[in-house]
Amino acid sequence: MGRANTVMDDLLNDFLAETAEILAEAGGALVAWEADPADRAQLDAIFRLVHTIKGSSGFLSLPRVTALSHAAEDALDQVRRGNRAANAALVTAVLAIIDRLSLLCAALGTTGKEPQGDDSDVIGALAVVDDGPAAKVAPAETVAAPSDEEINAELQSWRSIRVPLPLLDSVMTGVTDIVLARNEFARLLRESGADASVIASFDRLSDSIAGMRQSVSQMRMQRIDKLFSPLPRIVRDLAQDFGKKIRFSTSGGEVELDREMMENIRDPLIHIVRNAIDHGIENLDERVAVGKGITASIDVSARQSGNQIEIVVRDDGRGLSPDALVAKAISARVIGAAEAKALTPREKLDLIFRPGFSTAAKVTSISGRGVGMDIVKANLEKIGGVVELRNEEGRGLTIVLRVPMTLTIISGLMVRASGQYFAIPRGSVREILLETSDSVRIDRVGGGELATVRGEQFPLLRLEHVLGSEIDASEDQDDRAIILVRPGQGHSYALSVAAIHDHEELVIKPAAPMIMATGLYAGTTLPDNGRPVLLLDVQGLLAAAGVDASEAGRSHDASAEAAAEAAAARNAAQLLLFRDVGGRTRGVRLSVIERVEEVPASALFESAGVVQAQIGADIFAVHAAVVPSGPEAVKLLRLHDGHSVLCYPIDAVIDIVRLPDAVQPAPAPGLIAGVVLIGGEPVELIDPFWLMAQYGAGQAPSLQRQPLCRLSDDADGWADNFLAPILRHAGYRVISGGEAVEGERPDVQLYLADGPVAPVAGDVPLVRLRSSVAATGPDDDSIYRYDRGALLEALRIRVAGAS
Amino acid sequence: MMEKLYLIARIADTRVALRSRAINSVVTVGTPVHVPAAPPHVAGLFALRSRVFTLIDPHVVIGLPPVAVAPGQRVIVVDVADHGYALLADAIEDVCFIDAPETRVTGRLLPGWARVADAMIEHEGASLLVVDPSHFITLPVAKAA
Repeated sequence: MGRANTVMDDLLNDFLAETAEILAEAGGALVAWEADPADRAQLDAIFRLVHTIKGSSGFLSLPRVTALSHAAEDALDQVRRGNRAANAALVTAVLAIIDRLSLLCAALGTTGKEPQGDDSDVIGALAVVDDGPAAKVAPAETVAAPSDEEINAELQSWRSIRVPLPLLDSVMTGVTDIVLARNEFARLLRESGADASVIASFDRLSDSIAGMRQSVSQMRMQRIDKLFSPLPRIVRDLAQDFGKKIRFSTSGGEVELDREMMENIRDPLIHIVRNAIDHGIENLDERVAVGKGITASIDVSARQSGNQIEIVVRDDGRGLSPDALVAKAISARVIGAAEAKALTPREKLDLIFRPGFSTAAKVTSISGRGVGMDIVKANLEKIGGVVELRNEEGRGLTIVLRVPMTLTIISGLMVRASGQYFAIPRGSVREILLETSDSVRIDRVGGGELATVRGEQFPLLRLEHVLGSEIDASEDQDDRAIILVRPGQGHSYALSVAAIHDHEELVIKPAAPMIMATGLYAGTTLPDNGRPVLLLDVQGLLAAAGVDASEAGRSHDASAEAAAEAAAARNAAQLLLFRDVGGRTRGVRLSVIERVEEVPASALFESAGVVQAQIGADIFAVHAAVVPSGPEAVKLLRLHDGHSVLCYPIDAVIDIVRLPDAVQPAPAPGLIAGVVLIGGEPVELIDPFWLMAQYGAGQAPSLQRQPLCRLSDDADGWADNFLAPILRHAGYRVISGGEAVEGERPDVQLYLADGPVAPVAGDVPLVRLRSSVAATGPDDDSIYRYDRGALLEALRIRVAGAS
Repeated sequence: MMEKLYLIARIADTRVALRSRAINSVVTVGTPVHVPAAPPHVAGLFALRSRVFTLIDPHVVIGLPPVAVAPGQRVIVVDVADHGYALLADAIEDVCFIDAPETRVTGRLLPGWARVADAMIEHEGASLLVVDPSHFITLPVAKAA
């Protein structure tokens, strides 16, 4: 019985391991499929995954798992056969099933038994969203659904066995020790002057050890895809929670990384992506206001550079604001105000890595869970990695995680400087030359050094100088060598060292954090002689020396071109697509939109036959025939022509797109200027010119400085009661008699007596009003006080003349 | 029982007690390998049983001038956050059980010691500082800047 139990346990463990993998993969695949329901291959892949779970669970008699996977399989099969439409609701329902399966598997893993429970809720949800035989998403007739045999045959094609991780780790440690022992043994053999046959057989042993460590390293390597697979799901769910639109993409999934490295990056990576969604990406309205596309983008990519893997998480959100970070750090008591003053811009950004920083001020359910960027940094440093921020305030944040590809073994070149040995990864060495060689010329240029090798120029770094030590004068200058180093694509430099020693297979271990923090070292290693050697970080040396090592001027020109192109794209007319209150899709040039405002319906009222909206302390005209009914908030586009504001009620903002060149103009001037095609759909283009003309400039208060108008000699209060309202309506500020506005001189003065001009202080322009309709004579430049048009025109001319 | 076990050593010119569970081992070192451009309290690297350890000079952490490592000098090996470190010890005196309870640090300590000392303990008629080796790994922030 005990024996049978063990077999069952093994089977169960295999099932759990396999299912966990499948569930992670299925989550990502489902999100991808949701984005493109016509993607038949994705659908088939998901179907296969669910089918596999159903098959194995039936064998292990796990009724709940079987029922759940069967329901999901069934629903997906309906879609495959074209009997059911794929929509967001279906995807959500299937995701709910996957979540429930994960829960069950977690419980299975801890207790070994399937917990009791009822799954009719999630299974029911699958049925509810069924809106009958809907439009076919994929032509089911043309693609025959694969039979079960085909599916099984496909599963057979990747034959593999599962090995417990601890076993794999112990094999790796064993091999590492063998390599170290071999190195030690090699040294002893050399010293003892052993005879040739012993050395020959040792060499054979050595070769097979090298082969073995190669295989073991490969065993531990996994595609970084695995790390990326849960991300689409996380992004989808969070974006929904926050009401943000996010385009998520990954690239470089084929890059391979050591399993242990992967474990250590998993949580930091998820945390960074969550942070980007929560803090980095702005709200829809905010994005519109700053002229960005509604759909934000988050891009995760991986690439190999030398013996390092670079994982880049880039978003196009608001980026980090160094000053806001400082303010937050001070309020969280992470730093003092005095210390804050002394910070460089880079140090300000680095504040986010301080312990205790992220627990301050804004703790949301998503980001503020006690995991801060300090933990991210610590996790990476533990494995000899570094975190780097590339901030473009207002345009986005890029976080670069750089980790060594493997904790294991690399081929290294041993060099000497200041009487000490250092290792350089062989992979980044392009060429080795003696400094005295004919093909090398060294020039001192303006304090720096330049090495010219066969016509090609390289910035020259002397290792001793970069490390801050002295060149050992006792060393033979003829031994000095130049290593042409290429730390990454498009960069190279010449490194001068005291001497080249030899090549060796090196077991690399991360150095202590304070040593890694110097940025000069990538780790430590123990060569033959048993004395530790530091592995140089060839990229870090470059940074420490502050030398620009990009090859030729090409990369500069290319980036300038790209920037110019991006600027041109930004300058091109952009169109804000929105759904108006009637449910139609319309568009308006983004440049006339000041912002998108959301106001309660109660802020809208009708007055003088015009619907108006109260926003803050201002009242704006609204383009609407009637006051919208209903309690909900109303979204208003604020159109601004540099002078006045008009609100246009909408239902929702859809997107920002480039305005196509081809516009089909409307036959007569009106609200609609014409029709354009966006993504194959006709979109009506709002004419802001016409719209503004309908609500005359006088309707809305000017946002510019309003001219100040003084009414003098207003004995009977006529000016105050009759004239002032008209003036205010026309955009003037009015003071009467002896009132004054501090620090301002009136722009114009109205004089109300029918007599000679009273002398006024200063040279304020004057408009004289008279009570009689007729002028007193040809020299009379006064204006009849009820001639509104002439009065406003006279004021306008005086004010314009004064400024 | 282990809680009561202490290592009595002389580090940075001061007799201190270290809780034994925080300590990996006590070994002797040869000449360490210098780490150019490292923080001043890093005295170098040395290897032990195919592991590389970072040697820390407690003098610098306390605020004293650094001392040279003598061949055969004894060091206290500790593990902090998955990395191996060794504290240079002026002398290792004893490993012993101390029944007396740890008490709060009374009196004013030099700032360097105040940062590393956890408590005090009474042993054979003398008061010893109980120090946490992990506090020696990082330099005070002000100093690093």
